[in-house]
This record gives sequence, structure tokens and C-alpha cells, in this order.
Amino acid sequence: MARIVDDDQRMFMTGNEVLAWAALAAGAEIMYGYPITPQNEIMHYWTRLAPRFERGFLQTEDELSAGFTTLGGVMAGKRAFSATSGPGDILMQEPICMAEMMRIPAVWIIQQRGAPSTATVIYGQQETRLACFGGNGEGHRVVYSTSSHQELFDYLIKAFNTAWSYRFPTILLGDGYQGKMREAVTLYNPEDHGVKLVPTEPFVGRPGVPGVDRAPAHYRNTFNIEEEIYEIVHAREEEFEALTPQIVEFESGYLDEAEMILIGHGIVSRAIKEAVKLLQNKGVKVGYFRPVTLRPFPVEELRKAVEKVPAVMVFESALGQLLSMVKEAVGGLPVKIEAFLRPGVGICTDEAAEQVQEYLRKSSMVH
Amino acid sequence: MHTKIAVAGEGGQGVQSIGEILAEAANRSGLETTYMPNFGVEQRGGVSIAFVQISDRPIGSPKFKRADVLVVLSPRSVERTRGYVTPGTTVIYDSSSIEAPKIDDMTIGIQSWETLAPEGFADMAGNRPGKGIKGEEVRRDSNVRTVGIPAARIAKEELQPRVFNILILGAILAITKVVTVEAAREAMEHMFREKFAQRPELRDDNFAALERGLSLVETEQAGAGR
Repeated sequence: MARIVDDDQRMFMTGNEVLAWAALAAGAEIMYGYPITPQNEIMHYWTRLAPRFERGFLQTEDELSAGFTTLGGVMAGKRAFSATSGPGDILMQEPICMAEMMRIPAVWIIQQRGAPSTATVIYGQQETRLACFGGNGEGHRVVYSTSSHQELFDYLIKAFNTAWSYRFPTILLGDGYQGKMREAVTLYNPEDHGVKLVPTEPFVGRPGVPGVDRAPAHYRNTFNIEEEIYEIVHAREEEFEALTPQIVEFESGYLDEAEMILIGHGIVSRAIKEAVKLLQNKGVKVGYFRPVTLRPFPVEELRKAVEKVPAVMVFESALGQLLSMVKEAVGGLPVKIEAFLRPGVGICTDEAAEQVQEYLRKSSMVH
Repeated sequence: MHTKIAVAGEGGQGVQSIGEILAEAANRSGLETTYMPNFGVEQRGGVSIAFVQISDRPIGSPKFKRADVLVVLSPRSVERTRGYVTPGTTVIYDSSSIEAPKIDDMTIGIQSWETLAPEGFADMAGNRPGKGIKGEEVRRDSNVRTVGIPAARIAKEELQPRVFNILILGAILAITKVVTVEAAREAMEHMFREKFAQRPELRDDNFAALERGLSLVETEQAGAGR
């Protein structure tokens, strides 16, 4: 694979541009896409870079087609990906479900915008549930929720490796802020950082006689018997659960003696981490917990983090999508669950800190 | 050091370029920085806001509620960005398109005026204590500094209308000193290298506007609240 930079290189660019470079670094061979704000520039930069690095691109007629051609690319043995947002994300769910059923290691980048429907082209976290559980199925997919340009680069490389290692569709979940914002990032060649790219192989058209020289390639998404699908879904679930310890990721800090733990994912986690530092500097004992993988969700890790804490506060730019995952994860524990829900609107450091202080002030008055 | 800057104006006024140049210059100066555009579904027109943060440590949320520096370049953008003003904010505005009383009303936050403050308030913008319309003492503890720059007029009369935003950028640098003029110039050389190579007069026009913006503030032609 061609090196994308000579040495580690610090750049100042938009997140969408970072993702095009990351896809190159990850060895992606082809992108299938259909334009939608706020992820258009991934496609624009990719089409600019692809010819220089002998990679491919196909613009399709819509997101359904972009999703299914991505699956086709993967089945032909190509490291293929697509990117979308909002209404396009909805259309993309049908091919993502097919990838779940047929265990096709395709990679999607989703840059969330406001919702529902066309809503805003700017920002939101209202595709969290869709990214994790969209379509008809049980959410057998890996979802990484990033928070910085460096993570966009690191985790897109990781997303391709996760997909091809475990054969579950893999999603990098960003948002319009991350796509359009400019900040510093260090681009690198994965091999320089000890990251090996998991090799790809074709699903179909392999040499030899099926059933004689090799197992037949029989990838199905259609079944006739109820019990057959029952068994397949259970088998998927068991496999997904078994892989969870290897895939699951989270980040936490200041958990010891915390009176409250702030929980948020994606770009919102930047605000809560900063708010925790602000409050710690004032002597307020608070910590933070950030799921990096939303699928699989760090259930055990979150339960351990909050088991001795009186309260948590969930922050998200949606009306309770992360909140419901948190509630499910910590079910049965005596922790009080508060929330600051801002559908389609960014969350700032100061307001996160103010919410927590206000809650702690009120709860100390009650005691 | 952590400076939060919001630049607001009409689509097409070049507010995003101001934000991008500031952030590029900060990055080139080895500082942590984020630049984020706030854009609508319109391709042209509508209020456009650029959010820039410059810091010596990693930056949390890329968006913020209160600005250290607020730059407003059109009457509509004043309305949109009222909430960003807080004690300590420096408001820089284009005094050739925004009348002083409007800024004054916004920054003082006089609750009793539902419409724009009367002309008389213009004199009381900035940090000077003064008397209200009925002769009462007006508290100036809001500690908001306002600086009016007749940027659109000067750009039109002395330079090129299209370098209006760069003139504003010069004024921002002179007032806030968040990055050096050299860093801003380097950033522009980098960002506009293709345009400058094709049309060298663009470089001259832009750098002349940058200088004019700097000197406007340095020679105190910029009026506080006028």
C-alpha cells in the first residue's frame, strides 16, 4: 500500500478532509457515495485524492444504491466504504441490515445532522439510535463515536480493521461539527505506528470448484423457515457478545469519590470532560464517562463506574437516545439519572458545568 | 490564555474567511485552535457566524455561549448574536452599516427599552459612565467594550469593496492581539496561494486592507460606540 505521507505530518483541516485522508491511510480501495450535507467534502476530497493513489470512486443515484454497491465492492474483495447523513442515513439502513445478515465487512461514515427529516444540515446526535439499531434487525454492527479530528483519523483506520477482522458492518459516527470544523490533526502511515491493515479477500468468484476444492460461497439474506431465522439471529447475538470484550471502548476520568458522573458521547464528550476539569478546579467532585463504542455498549464498564456514585447526568444533542442506552445499562443500580437533552443543538462547556452545579446545589439543599 | 471569537455577518461578507485566517494563523503560531462555521441551508444570504477558539491548551466544545470577542458586520447579525455578549466581551462592529445605538442597546442590555435605544445612548457606549435619557445614572458594570470601525465605507472609498473583511481582520488583530500580523499574513499567503499566484494584485489589495485595518485602530480612528 502506498504511503500517504513521508512522515507523521501535522495538518490543519476540516474533519471531512481528515476522513478522506484516513480512508487512504486505511487502504480503502473504493468509495461509493451520494452527496448530502454535512459530509459532502469526504467525497469531494476523496475524488481529488483517489486518482493520485489509484483508488476508485462511484457516484450512485441515491443512498440505497450507494449502500448496496458498497456491499458489492466488499463481496468482490475490495476495502469499500460509503458516507452519508440524515435522510441519507435512513436509506442506508437497508444495505447496512443486509451487511448484518450476510456478515459483510463494509464501513460507513455517518456525519449526523439535525433531525427528523431534512431538519438542519448543521449538527445533531439524533442518529445515534439509527446508527446503532437502524433498520430491521438487532443492531449487530460496531459503532465508534468520535470526538476529535485525531480520532476521526485513528478510528476510521480502526473501523476497516474491525470490519474485516470480525465481519460485522462498522460505522464511524461523527456529526456536522466534526465534519465542518477545522482543527489540528497528525496524519500518519498506519505501519509507522505499528498498525497492521487486516487483509481483504473476495467473498465470491474464488478459484476452485465449490464443494470440492473449497466451501461454497453461500451468502443468504432470504429464509423460508421461522426456526432457521431464530437460530441465525441467536448465533449472531452470541458471536457479537463474545466479541464485545475485544471491541468495546470507553474513556473515563475523576471517578474516585465523584458525587456525580457526567456521561456523553462524540463531540459532546469534549464539553463534559472540560466541564469536569472546570468543576474539579473549583473543588467540585465530579467525573466523566464516555462510551467510545456505542455498539457494543460498554455496559459492564459503565456499571462499575457508577455503582458507588449517587447520580449521573447524561448530556446529548438528542432527546434521550443515549439516555435510554444508559438507563438500560445501569438498570437495577441505585444511581439517580439526570439528563441535559438538547436535540439538534451543540452543548457548550460552560452550560454543562452550570447544569451540574445547579443540580448539586439543589440536591444539597434537599439533604 | 483562551480566547473565544465569534464573527457574524451576512452570507457573502466574508466572515468565514476571517475565521479561517485567524485559526490558520493561530495553528501556524503553535497554538491550539478550532474554527467552526455556522451555516444555514441557503447557499447565499442569511446570517453567517464563524466560531474560533484560540488557546494554549486543548480545546473542549467547539461551540460556545459567550464570546470574548464578538464581531458583527450587519444589523441582522447583531440580533442573532446578542446572547454571546457577556461582561468582558469586546464587540467590534462595522459602524458604516450598524448604527451605534443598536450596539449600545445590545451591550448594556437595558431591559426597559423594547425598541432600539434612543440616539442619546450612542454617546454612552464603550466604558464611559454616563446619564440615561432622563438624566439618571446608567450603571456601566456590564464592562463591555465596543469598537466601531467604518469598514464598509473605507473599503468602498479607499480600497476595494471585496477586501472589506480583511480590513475588519486587521482591526481584530490590532484590538485583540490573538495572533501576530505576521502569522495572519503567512496564513493568507498559504490559503490564497493559488489566487495570489494568478492575480498578484489580489495580494496587494488584501495586505493593504490588513494594514488599513490595523492603522485604523492604532490611530484611534475607530470610535468607541460611534
